Amino acid sequence: MAENSGTDPAVETNIEENAAASATIIKVTVKTPKDKEEIAIAEDSSVAQFKEEISKRFKAKQDQLVLIFAGKILKDGDTLGQHGIKDGLTVHLVIKTAQKSSSGSSQTSASSGPGPSQGNTAETADPSPASNLGTPEGSGPSPTPTQPPNILAGFGDLSGLGNLGMGSANFMELQQQMQRQLMSNPEMLSQIMENPLVQSMMSNPDLMRQMIVFLYSNFNILFLLVKTMELARNPAMMQEMMRNQDRALSNLESIPGGYNALRRMYTDIQEPMFSAAREQFGNNPFSALGGNTDNSGVQPSRTENREPLPNPWGPPDSAATTTTSGTASTTSSTTSSTTPSVSNPLGISSSSLGNGMFNSPGMQSLMQQISENPQLMQNMLSAPYMRTMMQSLSQNPDIASQGPAPAPTPAAGTNTAQQQLMQQMLQMFAGGNASTPTPEVRFQQQLEQLSAMGFINGEANLQALIATGGDINAAIERLLGSQPS
Amino acid sequence: SLRFFSRGVSMKMLGVKVPRNFRLLEELEEGQKGVGDGTVSWGLEDDEDMTLTRWTGMIIGPARTNYENRIYSLKVECGPKYPEVPPTVRFVTKISMNGINNSNGMVDARSIPILAKWQNSYSIKVVLQELRRLMMSKENMKLPQPPEGQTYSN
Repeated sequence: MAENSGTDPAVETNIEENAAASATIIKVTVKTPKDKEEIAIAEDSSVAQFKEEISKRFKAKQDQLVLIFAGKILKDGDTLGQHGIKDGLTVHLVIKTAQKSSSGSSQTSASSGPGPSQGNTAETADPSPASNLGTPEGSGPSPTPTQPPNILAGFGDLSGLGNLGMGSANFMELQQQMQRQLMSNPEMLSQIMENPLVQSMMSNPDLMRQMIVFLYSNFNILFLLVKTMELARNPAMMQEMMRNQDRALSNLESIPGGYNALRRMYTDIQEPMFSAAREQFGNNPFSALGGNTDNSGVQPSRTENREPLPNPWGPPDSAATTTTSGTASTTSSTTSSTTPSVSNPLGISSSSLGNGMFNSPGMQSLMQQISENPQLMQNMLSAPYMRTMMQSLSQNPDIASQGPAPAPTPAAGTNTAQQQLMQQMLQMFAGGNASTPTPEVRFQQQLEQLSAMGFINGEANLQALIATGGDINAAIERLLGSQPS
Repeated sequence: SLRFFSRGVSMKMLGVKVPRNFRLLEELEEGQKGVGDGTVSWGLEDDEDMTLTRWTGMIIGPARTNYENRIYSLKVECGPKYPEVPPTVRFVTKISMNGINNSNGMVDARSIPILAKWQNSYSIKVVLQELRRLMMSKENMKLPQPPEGQTYSN
């Protein structure tokens, strides 16, 4: 791909030449420990030009200014673009009052400013990675000896990441970012690739393209969905996940204030979610996913459940109401439907999982509903309760301590492209699963082969086959390489 | 669109460990947005580093200490097990401070509380802020410092 990275010298000179011509103004926040100013500057300015503006605004001499961005000192000869400084980002400023002005930059040259322009004087630095690597100039910090080959060579610099979460203006950028992220996390990559749905999507490049954009902007929600679907297919994993969640929840409870937070979370999130879901779908459709037609649609209530609980010693299939915890009430139905609860938000009952959940009439009708009205899915995804959920999550101190300020609201706008995409995806989902027999049957041949090869753990074999979509070789690798972690 | 913060959070809800790269990309974004009070800064050492391993950090020396107004450059390395294990940290700019090796600037993980008792919710930002906080401690703030602008020569 001939896409120019910002590090290509040819492009660099180009930028310089066009510096005067181009006039995209960006607003950069300049922050000192005491002060903060927003400065408008042409996006291809040099650092020196930027400092000119700053010196006016902060009433300090230009050579007293030291600019820091993302852990690097900005040298006068650099350009803003070189460091990935874009609209809306923040640069730190130190105004040197004492004698040694700008000591941070030139004197310490290669060492303290480990940016691309090592050991250079005022000339424009060539920031290409080649010069960064193994620079024999005796620069202080050792250059990265184990620089991985740039698989995505020519795909643009990381400055694209500055747009993370800020809108998917440039598709190529997004794709690069996603690829980059996936490439560097092989676990996640294999997880995604192994999903047969993904595999069938790969054969359709158009869909693929749209998918990536869509995925990227709605990643976490989709992730939740996909994870849940995945879980639904794998009962063992499901239970594990449930246990983890329950454990996490009980941990949360034991933290001071944790119980309240949990309750808050429940009432803020669960209630609106359930009632919204009920509104849109009319009587909890997820309970129908268990393959039975008994739409119990029970209200999750905050009071004690006074109805008789199902007979635990009754016939086997009535004991299937599992995994309700927290304050959700259980239904008295003795079928295999499960009401949504704190830890089981979609009300998926473990017992129904092995029965080809996606073949159930409930699921089919849900799919149909959604594909007929992609707006539905879109609404579901961007519905208020999602936003509330995020807000609640960010307010929860335990979770908020994990990260920075609360996330902004999810993209609420309906996008025709997204709708179409959703439709296609769901069709494929529904279509792809419509005639799928159970894994044991599908993979019967492979299972036989595997056990003939000496893999005697039938359960593990089956899991591996499911994960690899029936690919024996991949399954073998999986079986050989799997380590508990 | 949603930021990685919320993705990380929703993964936490599922009881899934946030993948290392998710976390680091979050931190990268934070570093570019200048979160915090402007006294620390961090970013990738090399923009092309897809492993997100080597980071540079900056600490602006706190006022009313011998570190005042100086800019300290650091290298932070987030290994493959990060954030389950702490990063290794090294000062590039010479500094005299307890817990920092005098000859090469390495931060002794045992002497710095948050490195010694690392939690996976900590981050590069937290490490830098902590080091800055320690500069203000009685035992450090009056230590005579080397001339400004010197660096360790490894």
